[in-house]
Amino acid sequence: MKQNVQAIAPVLTLTRVSKRFDATQALLDIDVDFHAGKVHALVGENGAGKSTLGRILLGVHQPSQGQIKVDGKLVSINSPADGGKLGFVGIAQELSLLPDRSVIDNIALGREATNGPFVNFKKTKQQVLDVMRQFDMSLDPDIMVGALSVAEQQKVEILRALGRDARLIVFDEPTARLATHEAEQLLSLVRSLADSGKAVVYVSHFLEEILNISDTITVLRNGEHVRTGPAKEETREGLIMGMTGRDLQHQFPPISKPEKPGKPILKVSALCKKNEFDDISFDIGRGEIVGIAGLVGAGRSELAHAIYGSTMPDKGKIEFCGEDIGLAGIANSIKSGMALIPEARRTQGLILGRSILENTSLPYLSRFSSWIGLNKTHEKRAVDESCSGALVKHAGLHKDIDSLSGGNQQKLLFARAALGSPKLLIADEPTRGVDIGAKRGIYNLIAKMASEGEAVLLISSEIEEILGMCHRSLVMARGRIVADLSGSQLTKEAVINAAFSGV
Amino acid sequence: MNSFLQFLRNYGIVVITITLFLVLAITTEGFATPRNMRNLLDQQSTILIAASFMTIAIIAGNFDVSVSSIFVAAPLFALTVENSTGSALFAVIAAVVIGLSMGAFNGVIVTRIKVNSFIATLATSFMFFGAGFLISDRSLMRPDGEIYQMIARTRYFGITSATWIALVVVIIAWVLLSRTRFGRNVYATGGNREAARLAGVNVDRVQALTFVMLGAAAALAGVINSSRSISAQPSDDFSFVFAVLTAVIVGGTSIAGGKGAIWRTVTAAFFLAFMTNGFNLNQIDPIWQRIIEGIVILIAVSVDAWTQRRSG
Repeated sequence: MKQNVQAIAPVLTLTRVSKRFDATQALLDIDVDFHAGKVHALVGENGAGKSTLGRILLGVHQPSQGQIKVDGKLVSINSPADGGKLGFVGIAQELSLLPDRSVIDNIALGREATNGPFVNFKKTKQQVLDVMRQFDMSLDPDIMVGALSVAEQQKVEILRALGRDARLIVFDEPTARLATHEAEQLLSLVRSLADSGKAVVYVSHFLEEILNISDTITVLRNGEHVRTGPAKEETREGLIMGMTGRDLQHQFPPISKPEKPGKPILKVSALCKKNEFDDISFDIGRGEIVGIAGLVGAGRSELAHAIYGSTMPDKGKIEFCGEDIGLAGIANSIKSGMALIPEARRTQGLILGRSILENTSLPYLSRFSSWIGLNKTHEKRAVDESCSGALVKHAGLHKDIDSLSGGNQQKLLFARAALGSPKLLIADEPTRGVDIGAKRGIYNLIAKMASEGEAVLLISSEIEEILGMCHRSLVMARGRIVADLSGSQLTKEAVINAAFSGV
Repeated sequence: MNSFLQFLRNYGIVVITITLFLVLAITTEGFATPRNMRNLLDQQSTILIAASFMTIAIIAGNFDVSVSSIFVAAPLFALTVENSTGSALFAVIAAVVIGLSMGAFNGVIVTRIKVNSFIATLATSFMFFGAGFLISDRSLMRPDGEIYQMIARTRYFGITSATWIALVVVIIAWVLLSRTRFGRNVYATGGNREAARLAGVNVDRVQALTFVMLGAAAALAGVINSSRSISAQPSDDFSFVFAVLTAVIVGGTSIAGGKGAIWRTVTAAFFLAFMTNGFNLNQIDPIWQRIIEGIVILIAVSVDAWTQRRSG
């Protein structure tokens, strides 16, 4: 049901909008129009202000200065409720659903059809089904939301927004947690929402994605408006230059050749864990960067956790530096020279609310500890050294970890790993949610570690990253290694083909 | 404004406690006297001993309501040993061992069987209270010798041994939490259990140890209490744990885990003690004391929530 919306007058106009958070100027004098029926992308590095801009539209933040006009009339959006009344809704990266309630309950939440004080279940369900039909998104209405995949949960969130007669929908990094095919479904859904006359604001790090689906692209840099223009006039290189202010021809650092293969550092043989991975065998030598490519859900992180000792495999053998470490556990892995940079920085990596110092030294406290307690001077010196080695920008080691940007938090996890001078580093999606500048910094760190003889196991969903960083790459699909590619065999097509085999 | 809020968030409890002390010192006769202060310290000793280790358990991410039951039951075990052996030393050792074991039992239930700590320790409370009734045969117990009552009532430099013991226990807890690897692991475990685990911290052991230590501290507090009153009797009175929790929470240690400090709990314990003492000296009706105390706790917790939100 494609409505023919001729968008001449913009739905929403921002005039000289600025936003300050205490000392930080998040946005400065932004002028943008948003039109019905268009997908309008906001791009920029982390901290460029794109999410802040999205949140101002939704009423989560209020501009410090400037005007917002809706249909030509001046408005102030003081809360998300105000935004909702105007038909402005957001789909956040972190979903806000009730996992133990059904799809219907979640979609209808707060707008259930009622008879007096009682909920009319039949009518509520009918309304929800109507919305689903209208936008051609089918989901089992009675299933618990917690039982759905992330992609399906996102659909629920979108349906909830649509049920509120949304005019303008803000998507903030919606595909960051999705597998490739799920992301594609979402993108076509976003496209069809715009085609049905909604104004769509789309915030994302993935430039290909943006170039594919947007009509208009606004580039932000350090809170300032660089340009707004039609998507068809933009290129990937042009966007990167606009976002960073510099030419990023060399996205990846030079990778030094590994030493002549001696004894492998890590040797995995016939490793199995039910429902996670099956019959995994491979090895890594000194100075080698080995990628693990594949779709989300292929069992890559699960394999990493089994090697690291945080879960127990059912069968098989893990030899690290010639010793069988199968059931010894995490503390032993760390002691014998393994480090893990987990997939989810905030939930698996960092202790939020604690200092940079404490976060960095946590796995290696025994080194600074004696019977009289911790030697804080010694600890501080070592942490300071590894933080500067990893180029973590901070305002003091005693500062809260939340004072760091996402990219710096990720670098801090590298600094933590470097503190242990590990023989094997397992990095699980180390550049996810990190801006382009910080990405390059992380690639440099990985290259440096490898050149010093560390073995690196790099799990990544970004094929460019695998191609640019790894000496060789395994590809996993459905819990099995389906390819081991190196040299001229390691191409984008080969990785994609292997990743989708058996799916 | 922001730095002022930050300061208030960090040191508000100190500012309020000092203010209250000064106000009472000026307005209330008999408050700022050495004698009153010595009594006040003596009265707070049992709460300080238990609250220090309660702070550690809460920072590690758990709650322990069985503190009351250990506080009641352990001295009954101590006196049983004292009555049969005549040794006060054996009595104290017995009580601490019982406290350690009860704490270890809590720790195992919470970390191995993964029962929510509040529920688990509520259930074990009844078991421990019951053990107290069993060992004492439901009757009041008294020490046979003279030495048992000396445990809490000997004076050094005019200050009771109960106060000195509390001082030592508080310092031990403070050093453990802020100067050792164990302390860091406590903060990490309570702050983010999964991240701590992946950083190689044995999170189950850390949490179980906090229960064991708290059990021993509660038992020691119980012995001091019974030594002071030269008796112990079985009951199922939960009030001790509420006094302990009040000090920890008013001090600003987060119930969510990962945040807090021993000095906070100690300061809050004194704040609450000053308040009660001030009420008594000014002869405020005990009924009103309760109501006001409740309001003060609510204000303390609200101010904390408010400043967290503003600066967060």
